[in-house]
Amino acid sequence: MIEVDHIARTYTRGDGTPVPALKDISFGIAKGEFVTIRGASGSGKSSLLNILGCLDTPTAGTYRLDGEDVSHHDDQRRSHVRNRKIGFVFQSFNLLPRTTAVENVEIPALYAGGHVDRGRALAILGRVGLGDRADHYVTELSGGEQQRVAIARALMNDPPLLLADEPTGNLDSAAGESVMALLTELHREGRTIVLVTHDEGVAAHAKREILIRDGLIASDRPQGRDAATARQSA
Amino acid sequence: MNISRTVGHALRTLSRNRLRSFFMMLGVTIGVASLTALASVGEATQQETMRRFKRMLGTFDIVIINPGGSSTRGMPSLTTSPPVLKPGDAAAIASEVALVKQVAVMQFAFGIDVEYADKSASPSVMGVSPNWNEVRGEDIALGEGITAEDDETTARVAVIGEDLRRLLFGGEDPIGKQFRISGVPFRVKGVLASRGVGPGGASMDNTLAIPVATASRRLFNRDYYTGMLAQLRDPERSAEAIEDIKALLRERHGIVPPGEDDFTVTSPQAQIARVTDIGSTLSRVMIGVAVIATLIGGAVIMSLMLIAVSERRREIGVRRAVGASQRDIMVQFLIEAAVISFAGGLVGIVLGVGGTLVATTLAKLPPAIRWSAIAGSALMAIVVGLVCGLQPAWRAANVAPIQALRS
Ligand SMILES: Nc1ncnc2c1ncn2[C@@H]1O[C@H](COP(=O)(O)OP(=O)(O)O)[C@@H](O)[C@H]1O
Ligand SMILES: [Mg+2]
Repeated sequence: MIEVDHIARTYTRGDGTPVPALKDISFGIAKGEFVTIRGASGSGKSSLLNILGCLDTPTAGTYRLDGEDVSHHDDQRRSHVRNRKIGFVFQSFNLLPRTTAVENVEIPALYAGGHVDRGRALAILGRVGLGDRADHYVTELSGGEQQRVAIARALMNDPPLLLADEPTGNLDSAAGESVMALLTELHREGRTIVLVTHDEGVAAHAKREILIRDGLIASDRPQGRDAATARQSA
Repeated sequence: MNISRTVGHALRTLSRNRLRSFFMMLGVTIGVASLTALASVGEATQQETMRRFKRMLGTFDIVIINPGGSSTRGMPSLTTSPPVLKPGDAAAIASEVALVKQVAVMQFAFGIDVEYADKSASPSVMGVSPNWNEVRGEDIALGEGITAEDDETTARVAVIGEDLRRLLFGGEDPIGKQFRISGVPFRVKGVLASRGVGPGGASMDNTLAIPVATASRRLFNRDYYTGMLAQLRDPERSAEAIEDIKALLRERHGIVPPGEDDFTVTSPQAQIARVTDIGSTLSRVMIGVAVIATLIGGAVIMSLMLIAVSERRREIGVRRAVGASQRDIMVQFLIEAAVISFAGGLVGIVLGVGGTLVATTLAKLPPAIRWSAIAGSALMAIVVGLVCGLQPAWRAANVAPIQALRS
């Protein structure tokens, strides 16, 4: 599903000095995988996820999504890809304030053409356990609930790929566990999930872990039960 | 996103920040309200001026001949007029210009002292030919007008204006009463029908008329006229008549072009056009002021929107992340600006129309709501909104999502 080929991303600071956040990254992710990208703060995880999510373009290398080279798409086409194929979940939830839960969930449908299906938005909120919170303003919800609204929003257009950037980073451990349980369930339903974290405990939920250090891949190996099986057979 | 949905979405977004939306609206509201009101009041004033002017000039089948060149302004009087229009000129125009049916003449003077019993006044005095009332389309309210016999006999008779009747005679019947004009005894023969106020707003009834022969020989001792009215056989051919009269007067006064005329010949239509022109210059100035007000309103929208864009960076980032293109963001902000200014415009029109009705009622003018001004205001409000929304919308569209979403 994802093919990343010698990707680099160099930012330019305000004073013109270049910041090489990603240096030379290559990997592939198959449909239905659950992968974590782990690394220290500032190692380039978010930069990589932004490129995978078509929010940013690499300064070098190519990125193929479903066989399509999206690294050279114009804004219109990249927006379309984000809208249809990708669901984002952020550390800081990024819900619109002064807006109800269900209105937040509907936002991706606004940009999908066709009509906005409120019934679907409500069903998804029910699915993430917030059926009774649909008309609450998001500021009235707890952190864990807000993150589940964000996940519902990511699911609105039924994208095959979910990208989560430290989704439990702002949550207490109980709320974090329920968010991870939800993501695990979504993975079991067949969605491809790429999750960025610096937390080994969170990374343990995934089947594969890509470790990043200073903009380079330090390791790429199976995790959890798959890892145990691999070790047994070794 | 399609447009109707975007408009609905914009309305919801705007209602979420009512205070900001209110201030954005306010600017356009003020501009549009003043535009609607000023244009409408200007129109009402202009219509009223024209109505008064018509009343002063009377009928339209005449041309007006005054002494002095084209630079002369105001009502010519004996003290301000060059002594160029002589009785011979009037006779010649009447007999030699085929398009002219008859000529009425006048000697006009301001501020002449009159006395009756213990009362005094200083009206204007018009020495007029017997046909003056007929040519000018003036009515006698009481008694009789000046006759040819009065003129031939240089009779000391007067037809007085309504103001003067009230001032000198009050409740008395003025007909047949003796009074003095500059010390000379006259007899009241009739009362002129009231003409109300002139274009300048002054009463046109503080006046009296006497036979022009009496005026020139017994009162003023002047043989020139301050104005002549030539009544036309065919009002449609007034331009032609004006040229014929000019040619005749030039010949009689020995003026050879390019020498300047010592007289002016105009039609009431031309004079009204000039006044109307002054009126429309005035309303153009007013409209200019209102346009500036609306533009200031637009500038308010622009700066508030620019602030809104930086406050809403995260929202923009979220929308981009879930699939909004730069164009979607641009359209969203433009529509918000247009909706705000349209709403502001509607409120402005309501206030403007209300203000116009109040102003015209207070000024006793006929109400003139100018629909073109209203439509123009509404259109301008939207255009201002779109134009002023352009830069903020462009800036919003160019917010880098990865920057906006960094926590
Ligand atoms: N827009 C940017 N401009 C300049 N430098 C940036 C920008 N975004 C990230 N960086 C830098 O790139 C490096 C990688 O950042 P990031 O991908 O956010 O790391 P992580 O998510 O792993 O913490 C950091 O040194 C960060 O300071
Ligand atoms: Mg990060």
